[in-house]
Amino acid sequence: MNAPVQQFRTEVEQDLLDLFELSADALPGDAAVTALRQKAIRTYAAAGLPHRRVEAWKYTDLRVALKNVPPLLAEVDVQVGESEIGAALGQAFLALPAYRVVIAAGEFRGDLSDIGALRDAGVEVGSLGQMLESPPAWLTASFDEAGRRDDDVIIALNTALMTAGVALRLPEELTLQKPIHLIHLDMPGASGSIFTRNAVVAEPGASATLIESFGTLGATDLQRNSVTTVSAAERSAIHHIKLQREALEATHLTVWAANVGAEARYNAFQVNTGAALARNQIYVRFDGEGAATDISGATLAQGSQHCDTTLVVEHNVPACESRELFKLVLNDEARGVFQGKIIVTPDAQKTDGKQMSQALLLSETAEFDSKPELEIYADDVVCGHGATSGQIDEDLLFYLRARGLPEAQARALLIQAFVGETFEALDDEVIGDAFAEVAADWLGVKLD
Amino acid sequence: MLKIKNLHAKVDGREILNGLDLTIPAGEVHAIMGPNGSGKSTLSYVLAGKEDYEVTDGSVTWKGEDLLDMQPDERAAAGVFLAFQYPMEIPGVATMTFLRSAVNAVRKARGEEELSTPDFLRTVKEKAKHLNIDIEMLRRPLNVGFSGGEKKRNEILQMSLLEPGLCVLDETDSGLDIDALRVVSAGVNALRSPERSMLVITHYQRLLNYIVPDRVHVLSNGRVARSGGPELALELEESGYAEYGEEASAA
Ligand SMILES: Nc1ncnc2c1ncn2[C@@H]1O[C@H](COP(=O)(O)OP(=O)(O)OP(=O)(O)O)[C@@H](O)[C@H]1O
Ligand SMILES: [Mg+2]
Repeated sequence: MNAPVQQFRTEVEQDLLDLFELSADALPGDAAVTALRQKAIRTYAAAGLPHRRVEAWKYTDLRVALKNVPPLLAEVDVQVGESEIGAALGQAFLALPAYRVVIAAGEFRGDLSDIGALRDAGVEVGSLGQMLESPPAWLTASFDEAGRRDDDVIIALNTALMTAGVALRLPEELTLQKPIHLIHLDMPGASGSIFTRNAVVAEPGASATLIESFGTLGATDLQRNSVTTVSAAERSAIHHIKLQREALEATHLTVWAANVGAEARYNAFQVNTGAALARNQIYVRFDGEGAATDISGATLAQGSQHCDTTLVVEHNVPACESRELFKLVLNDEARGVFQGKIIVTPDAQKTDGKQMSQALLLSETAEFDSKPELEIYADDVVCGHGATSGQIDEDLLFYLRARGLPEAQARALLIQAFVGETFEALDDEVIGDAFAEVAADWLGVKLD
Repeated sequence: MLKIKNLHAKVDGREILNGLDLTIPAGEVHAIMGPNGSGKSTLSYVLAGKEDYEVTDGSVTWKGEDLLDMQPDERAAAGVFLAFQYPMEIPGVATMTFLRSAVNAVRKARGEEELSTPDFLRTVKEKAKHLNIDIEMLRRPLNVGFSGGEKKRNEILQMSLLEPGLCVLDETDSGLDIDALRVVSAGVNALRSPERSMLVITHYQRLLNYIVPDRVHVLSNGRVARSGGPELALELEESGYAEYGEEASAA
């Protein structure tokens, strides 16, 4: 494929190339990984940063939004304890029973991670930085898969600059009883870029829940690029959950890319409350018949936050099911973007795809942009999509107030109810309650 | 005591209440009947404080206080309760959570202690039982998928939990089967007390066999056209609203 060669580079675009040149020698990896990085940076150099004339980036012009490129963060001795994690993620996520893996300031923190316990439970797991020095075949395969998507600039940059992360493989038929909680933190008082890459490989029949949470220790200027690839073999089940509570000044660019085998399930769920600019991309590709995905979540944004959720689901084989439900609560001048592409190839008969996005606008200056794209090339399919945008229902508000609830409390209850519907997709009361607490926290109310 | 004097109210620029006078002393139950569209629900909304109902003239005092000056939640705290003709469905809010928030909000506003979870649950269970409400129903989202009768019973449950001083019941009997009508009426009668005033809006004399009113008023064209004792309801059942309708079109 011939990528269009960019004639002119902005300063920030050049800075990203310089960042790579400067860091290249220190980046972890064997010769093969180095070659991978070189190829990825060339892909980036050819394409540049995506801007509004690139259809997939219509509402989020990265070339305009990125103002600078802070140095790569790599700091080993950031103080991280329970109180720091609690402050960064909230008490509910601190308390979640899980195997913990911590990445702080761009460094994998073995001292804070339950790697031993995960291995005892049968999971093959390690720090990405270490594994890059001699990657096992399954990890190399993950990179190859991601490489097929590196026309996505976020992935290309990530491949070029990835430093830390976790790679894990769930052997056949293993059911992990507790979720894995991957905690991404920044660094107090510093400005920096973090490129993390995680890889999950689920062998046939394996199942696990992976929670990725992003919180702040008080970075001043954070640019985060985080990519997680998931390869879900036949009959496996991966539940992938995210809490994004970055610093309010941060840039948060992430991709989850999943390949889903026959009769496997991949569910993704994301809640965003942080970051000045967030772009969450989720790619799901069905490789085997009878597979299913549910991609849901909620965005709570205020001030001048910009939060973009972009989904691409590829139905390449028959009889797969996809469900998408995203809700956005937008206050002040916040802008929410939802793009959902569903591709149904000619072979993918009996596809069942549904998509819904709903925004609740709390102010007249908030903005919601929604772009569903259904590309259907098969005839025997059921596909539907919808997008709504509205204000709080005054009649419902009156009903609650007539029962004694003060206006602010009544509004908060209605907003929670609106968002709460997405939590049902989790089908997990403990995690659902934790998200309910995140929403209550955002609304400034106390749950009892 | 509720005192309504010369009340005028507009909705969407249209005058619906048109010089309404009504006084309900403490301890009394008054019924309001009247043709469709005469302004009965409008009166109930004005009393509860719905925003789009603009009062253009007149006054409403409750226990000597200016009711029209209060926010809807302040009115609830002051003891005003409206059982809605059409209760709202609120997906995502569990009925139990809603009941608890309402009870505690009102208690807080009245300067009382919030109820503990066990105390609250005990109270709800007991009151729900009297109204033949299955406790399982209260775990569902508020009024969502409730039958018409279930919604009405849920309104009366809320009323008994909030212990209001002024109960306004807007067609609580519509949609109730005969057994439910008995149960609901018993629930309402249990709340009758020397301190409590009630305003019962209905189209059917039958309800007034169960909840026997002290006074009956006929509302027509946004004002009280006639008042009398319980026998007035029987008379209306016979004669209908024809004479008020004529008066209406003549006016
Ligand atoms: N929001 C509104 N906008 C415009 N007109 C309204 C509105 N609400 C009520 N009205 C009108 O006001 C009049 C009185 O309505 P209201 O609901 O008070 O009547 P009602 O006596 O309760 O009737 P019913 O017996 O049918 O319940 C009706 O003509 C109705 O159409
Ligand atoms: Mg009415």
